[in-house]
Amino acid sequence: MTSRPWSESLRGPAGALGTEHAPAYLPIDRAFALVNDYGTGRALLWRGPAPAEANEVATLWRRAAEAPRPHRVAPEEVVEGYGVFTFPYGPISMGVPESGRFDVRTYGERILTLGPVAGFKSRRILGALPGLTPEDALLRVERLAGNFSAAHAAAFLAAVESAAAIEVARTELWTRALAQELERIYNHLHQIARVAEAASQNVGLAQTHALAEEMLRIEGRTFGHRWLFGALAPGAPTRRLDPEGRRWLGRALRELSGRFEVLLELFLGSRTFVDRLQTTGVVSRERAVRWGAVGPVLRATGVAWDDRLRAPSVPYTDLFLELPREDGGDALARILVRAHEVRSSALLLEQLLDRWPGDAMAREAPAPPVGPGRGLGRVESPSGDLVYEVRLTNGRIASVGMRSASHANWPVFAESLRHAVFTDFHFAWESFGLVFAETDA
Amino acid sequence: MDLAGVLLTVAIASFFAGAPLSLIRRDLGYLTTFGAALLFGAVAVDALLFGPVRGAAWGGPLGDVETLSLDALSAFFALATSVVWAATSVYSVWYDDRPSPVLAVTYALTLGAIALLVTASSEVLFLIGWETMTLASYGMILEARGRTDRVYSAAFVFLAFGEASTLLVLLAFAGLFVGTGSLAFGPTLSGTVLPSLVFVAGLLGFGLKMGTAPFHMSEWLPIAHSSAPSNASAVLSSTLTLAGAYGLFRLVSLLPGPPDWWGALTLAIGAISVLLGALFAAVSEHSKGLPAYSTIENNGLILVALGVSLLAGANHLTLLAVFALFAAFYQALAHALAKTVLFLSAGYVEHLTRTFDLSSVEGRATGPDRAALVGTLAASLSLAAGPPLAGFVSEWMVLEALFQSYRFGETWAQFVGLLTGAAVALGAGLITVAMVKFVGFAYLWKPRCARAPSERGSLGPVVGAVAFAVLTVGITAPWILVLLAPSVSVVMGSSVAAPIGGLLSVPNGWSILSGAPFGILSPPMVPIAIAAGVLVAVGYDRLGRHRAVRRVPVWMAGSAPAREGETYTSFGYSTGIRLMMSSALRTREVRANAGAITTVGFEAVEPYSVELEVFDVFKLFYDGLLVVGEGVSRVLKERVMPGQLGRYLAYVLVAVLVVVVYIASVST
Repeated sequence: MTSRPWSESLRGPAGALGTEHAPAYLPIDRAFALVNDYGTGRALLWRGPAPAEANEVATLWRRAAEAPRPHRVAPEEVVEGYGVFTFPYGPISMGVPESGRFDVRTYGERILTLGPVAGFKSRRILGALPGLTPEDALLRVERLAGNFSAAHAAAFLAAVESAAAIEVARTELWTRALAQELERIYNHLHQIARVAEAASQNVGLAQTHALAEEMLRIEGRTFGHRWLFGALAPGAPTRRLDPEGRRWLGRALRELSGRFEVLLELFLGSRTFVDRLQTTGVVSRERAVRWGAVGPVLRATGVAWDDRLRAPSVPYTDLFLELPREDGGDALARILVRAHEVRSSALLLEQLLDRWPGDAMAREAPAPPVGPGRGLGRVESPSGDLVYEVRLTNGRIASVGMRSASHANWPVFAESLRHAVFTDFHFAWESFGLVFAETDA
Repeated sequence: MDLAGVLLTVAIASFFAGAPLSLIRRDLGYLTTFGAALLFGAVAVDALLFGPVRGAAWGGPLGDVETLSLDALSAFFALATSVVWAATSVYSVWYDDRPSPVLAVTYALTLGAIALLVTASSEVLFLIGWETMTLASYGMILEARGRTDRVYSAAFVFLAFGEASTLLVLLAFAGLFVGTGSLAFGPTLSGTVLPSLVFVAGLLGFGLKMGTAPFHMSEWLPIAHSSAPSNASAVLSSTLTLAGAYGLFRLVSLLPGPPDWWGALTLAIGAISVLLGALFAAVSEHSKGLPAYSTIENNGLILVALGVSLLAGANHLTLLAVFALFAAFYQALAHALAKTVLFLSAGYVEHLTRTFDLSSVEGRATGPDRAALVGTLAASLSLAAGPPLAGFVSEWMVLEALFQSYRFGETWAQFVGLLTGAAVALGAGLITVAMVKFVGFAYLWKPRCARAPSERGSLGPVVGAVAFAVLTVGITAPWILVLLAPSVSVVMGSSVAAPIGGLLSVPNGWSILSGAPFGILSPPMVPIAIAAGVLVAVGYDRLGRHRAVRRVPVWMAGSAPAREGETYTSFGYSTGIRLMMSSALRTREVRANAGAITTVGFEAVEPYSVELEVFDVFKLFYDGLLVVGEGVSRVLKERVMPGQLGRYLAYVLVAVLVVVVYIASVST
């Protein structure tokens, strides 16, 4: 772990804003630094040298887990004025499918500041992991956020393998990539459907839902579980993908992506749909980089940064990845990035299936541990950079820390809605693809 | 002079007698005006039912006879004002706890002046009443609580606009005198140009007092009326504007058959007033400013109805002209009653919560306040045109009249009617927002807080009684129209019958007909239908089995807020309109002390405050007027009146010479 002062690690990569494809490499310690400690509210406003324990990432995580609930997950800003009040939206609301509250500071109709409040569905999953074997812990990690189960499982396993220095079967790594790309396509379809719903595009909504359901069935047929629970395992795969199954999967995906292309064209031809998304929830490129946004949110501001490309692991090192990028920074740009990623993931899947490793015995070395018995796992989840830190003692979990894409993107989301009208909320919300399940782990 | 005449004279004398009596004891003054109001109302009913009443008479300046009299037209206004005054006088006994009796004295004088101008048989007497009314009201506004400079400025604004109004009315009356050679209200003016000049001057002059006029008067009426003490606000907003309406109707009754542009002009002014009055009412946060803006909207409706009547008259559509005139009268009555309740209620809430700011009013009506709550609810519903209340009937009549603008001969006139209809409908929608806001945030909202109980007893009965009148007038609308028929006849110049009839099983005379045939409404049947529905529901409830009531705690979002400032403010309630109508309101956000942005890893913005401001575009007109006025004054001061004795002597000399030459030319 780095010994640089805390404040410096918060500052972000030097010169990141100056180059076209900035940042070329997001240092791993920075990714940890962005753990949101908003429960105590100090990670944000830390000035000067940090307390001694600040370098211990686990301490931060523990403190975040012990934070009083509910707690804000974005910086608090003070706005006063005549008629200004706080409008609590949630924790049970029509539009947001999870329990979570938003404290909207407003004089009516217009959002002055938005404060997402997490902690309403806290399940203490990560806190309960110490003492378990990695296999048992995996069962829980998979269920932490159902839509992202493959990403969480892959990141967690990578961290475990790094900590324990376990060699991994090459087929297992390819299986992980396969599961993650399937999951990515499903999530993007799901998110596009949610935006279509917000814009009352009912035909588009039904069609996209149908495609998403199709995706779940494909996942179910390939891995035996619609949400990919139990699909991945440490070290070696639990399930063999036979050539017949691979051929079927390839056909099914080609057919699905063909249907999606038609649908996307119809969506983009709908004036009401595009108008509603354009200039909604704008995130500037400078802010996205400085505040550490990740995933489609970051790529929609023109920054070509993706774990699969910038911090690649096997098999992404061997594959061609077409990385979509948009410049608008608004809800439309984010949705376009997602739509184009459906295409790029289909391309990745095609490559995976074509070049499936035949040698069942080949093994790959894990990433080197970052400390004694301490490993990091990092994958690009559908919503962006996901990092796990695992410590093992005697083959059992000692502690687990996680920084999800939701953690990173909450403040950017809150900022993007400043001065928007209430009705913009859902378009922005759905285009960000944030889930309380990740922050309330 | 018969008994009614004596009583009329006594009533008016009593109003004025209230002023000196107030010096002895305030309550005595208010009780005197209360008695006078009852007497005045009784004589008015007598005049409406049995013909004109003549009171004291004396010789006028030009050898004619001045009398205090009530014909059918003035009797209607006398009746409407006396109901309001009876309520405000009782209210004042409770309300006026000021150390000085000035408010009581000016209050009595204002009432007397209005009574005098309503009963005046000649222009001179009318003007005396008009001017006394303005000056006495000025005194009432000066008695307001609050920051001295604001009160002075509100009173000054009132006086300035009042005098402008007097000037225009004087012009109109001068025209009448030139045309008819008489100072009495009687002979009808004839000709083409002169009546038009008189009409325009009268429309502007009386319109100023009603808060309408071509330039929306949001710059003065709401400021003046809302700054006054609450009993004065009610008198100003309900009856002083009624005096303006009376003057206008009286003037119209003295003019010949109108050309069509009179009606179109009246419609246009009315439509603008309705729309902007409603718009500003919806975004007002002042518990008395809001009803004051609503006054502009309602007076706009009166003008709209009058405009339809004039246009219909010009197009020889007698039936429509009569119906629209009934609508105007009924609207005036409905507004006067409901608005009284609103102002009394606002004063009551202010007395209990010490604030006029709707966003800061907290508490919920309990105990004896319930009557005030129900009364306020009824009055607001009436102003928002909710059935079966008076405001609903009047709004229906005005809209029905406008719907028939297709009958006008000229296409442009039809078009004006169409646009006015759209403006009135939009105004009705906006005023609903305003009224919901008023009741919601003054009475129903904000569950938390402890309010101090009133130490001086509840006002529920007074507010409730006037509200009951609003309900009664609404339900018995057809018979009210019958009562109004003589008044409308005066303005029409011929005897007319009330537009009532029957349809299906509704008894004859229970319904209002808006044309032959056009629309029909039966106000008495509305409560009957509602009662029948309630009966069914109650019966079902009684016959039904045991009703299980489950009480559960509400969770987070549904429960009372845990923290201060987590409830919707009245400001927030109407911000939607501020943003939607931002082009009309010139909405803009003003930020203060937005400190420098400090960057430590993330950005952290300094605390700041924000205000969403609206702006009245017509203020630009008055700002411009001010600049021009000051410029002209400066030029006059520097060039014409520089303070040199020689100059002034020269002026005197020139004046004498001019007079000598003039007299010489006239005598030869």
